[in-house]
Amino acid sequence: MSDNDKHDGLKGLADKAQDMVGGMVGMASASTAGSHDARAFVMNGCVSDRYEIEAAAVALRRSRSDSVRAFAQMMAEHHTTAMHQMASALRSHEVRDPLPDIAPPAELDARRQGMIQHLLDAPDDDFDRMYLDQQKLAHQEAIALHRGYAEHGDNPQLRSVALGGLPMVERHAAALKRINLH
Amino acid sequence: MPFNPLAERGIPLDRQLRSWSELNVQPYDTREVHPYTRCRVILMNGVEVEAAMFSHNFNRNTADVELKQRLARVRRIEQQQQKAVNWLIPGESQENAVEVTIGYEQVAVDLTAWLARHEPDPYLRQVYEFGLLEDFDHLYRYANLMDLMGNGRRAEEITGNYTEITPGRPTIFEHRDPHDDLRRPMTVQAAHRQSMLNAMTLVSAEQQTMNYYMTVGNRPTDPLARALYLEIAQIEEQHVSHYESCLDPTISWLTNWVLHENHECWLYWSCYETEVDPRIRQVWELHLAMELEHLRIAAHALEEIEGKDAAELVGDGYAAPMTFEENKAYLREVVARQVDLTAWDSEFLPVDDLPEGHRYFAYQAQVNAGGVPSEQVIERRRAEFGDEYRFETDGEHPVEPLRERGDHDNLGYWRATRSHGAVAPIG
Repeated sequence: MSDNDKHDGLKGLADKAQDMVGGMVGMASASTAGSHDARAFVMNGCVSDRYEIEAAAVALRRSRSDSVRAFAQMMAEHHTTAMHQMASALRSHEVRDPLPDIAPPAELDARRQGMIQHLLDAPDDDFDRMYLDQQKLAHQEAIALHRGYAEHGDNPQLRSVALGGLPMVERHAAALKRINLH
Repeated sequence: MPFNPLAERGIPLDRQLRSWSELNVQPYDTREVHPYTRCRVILMNGVEVEAAMFSHNFNRNTADVELKQRLARVRRIEQQQQKAVNWLIPGESQENAVEVTIGYEQVAVDLTAWLARHEPDPYLRQVYEFGLLEDFDHLYRYANLMDLMGNGRRAEEITGNYTEITPGRPTIFEHRDPHDDLRRPMTVQAAHRQSMLNAMTLVSAEQQTMNYYMTVGNRPTDPLARALYLEIAQIEEQHVSHYESCLDPTISWLTNWVLHENHECWLYWSCYETEVDPRIRQVWELHLAMELEHLRIAAHALEEIEGKDAAELVGDGYAAPMTFEENKAYLREVVARQVDLTAWDSEFLPVDDLPEGHRYFAYQAQVNAGGVPSEQVIERRRAEFGDEYRFETDGEHPVEPLRERGDHDNLGYWRATRSHGAVAPIG
């Protein structure tokens, strides 16, 4: 093993650990503010969908596994739909009247940017594992966000968005468990 | 002063049943009827069909035997109302299927336009304007078919001077992947009450149009007529999906029953307030009095079974009647502004903004392969008569590529479908 290989291996481990810690922070955020506050729900929901779409684009370029690529294709399509549903909700009077200045975030937050960067940096033979590990964390976070806001959210239209999206992210989490890389 | 249906007394249910002779009403005279009276008849038939089918579906989804009995008693009357309304349309020798079709499309145009103009929610207004331009185009395609079928009447004799007949969003481009017909639902909790009434009205009207084309579309012998009906019937299916996805999917069956009865009250009251034919106005008045009782029965069930107050759904009543009236200037403005819009999931965007490889283009290529009836009907009209049938009372078309001698290739849709390799059969 060369020094470079050792360096890549250590960096990969560090990236995974960082994703995992970030995921725990995300879970906490999704389960607290995102579970009842409209602005937090919109921010977390939109960033989550954007991350899914960008991560899927990386996976479709880099993965050599048919099952991972099929999953990534599904993520790109489903989370585009989710992003559109949120955009439509934000244009309704049900959201605009109480929250006239609310808008979807223009870009990913630093944590998700870091996750995308880790996917870009991952060695070829470690890519699929890293993508799937990130997906598990991201979907746990998305389920907590949607379930929490559907039950406790403060805006009826956004609660409806959460309720409509929850079965989809739950099915994604179940699909992830069925993917076998070997 | 608003009309509050919960504060009015209706006809007791056991006095609502009518005999066959009472139901077999004298049809209107096609040469005398006001175009908007025909529109009201077509609309209210669709509303009664929705009421009956909703009640049947409710019946299939509840085990409560006594509630089934209540539904059955009201449903039998709703079915009688549907007959009394739909039998106002005269038989084949006075108004044939394509002439009635022109009436259906005039309903779709002037009903949707009125509802869009009176829709308080900006997203839903966009949903309605999007659908409006598609039905506007259907009227133009069917009007050309009517000329070709040649029984001597022209479409403007059906529509009067109230509705222009000219291209909207060309039907060829309305065919989209099923995912792109699904919109964002409102919530009963936070939506304007008018928004709920508007959406239920469009669901009923478009559903009846879909049902009508599904049934009569195979009656013509001419292959082009049959083809045009089936093509546009598929768009009506898209429209039912488009409008019904705006409704709140989380409400209970009982809440939905109250909303249906309230909706019928609003529209019968609207017809009663705006009808110009005294004989038919009596039908609207009678049916309004019947619906008031249906609403009371549904409201009582909601309170008794779920402990909910129907007044929270109905509010203080109706501020304004839905009115069939001219929408020419509005339609011209909408077509100029939105002809090139398409849908991607629940959102609307210019067709030029769709990304490479979007499912829209694959769908277009598949269904439009081998020729498109809605284009062929115009081609045949040009070939047989030298021009198209149009009824443009307020000047030339506001969109240059949609003028009869305009640069058709310059429409955004033609550019986009060609550049993405979708089939574009007509130049």
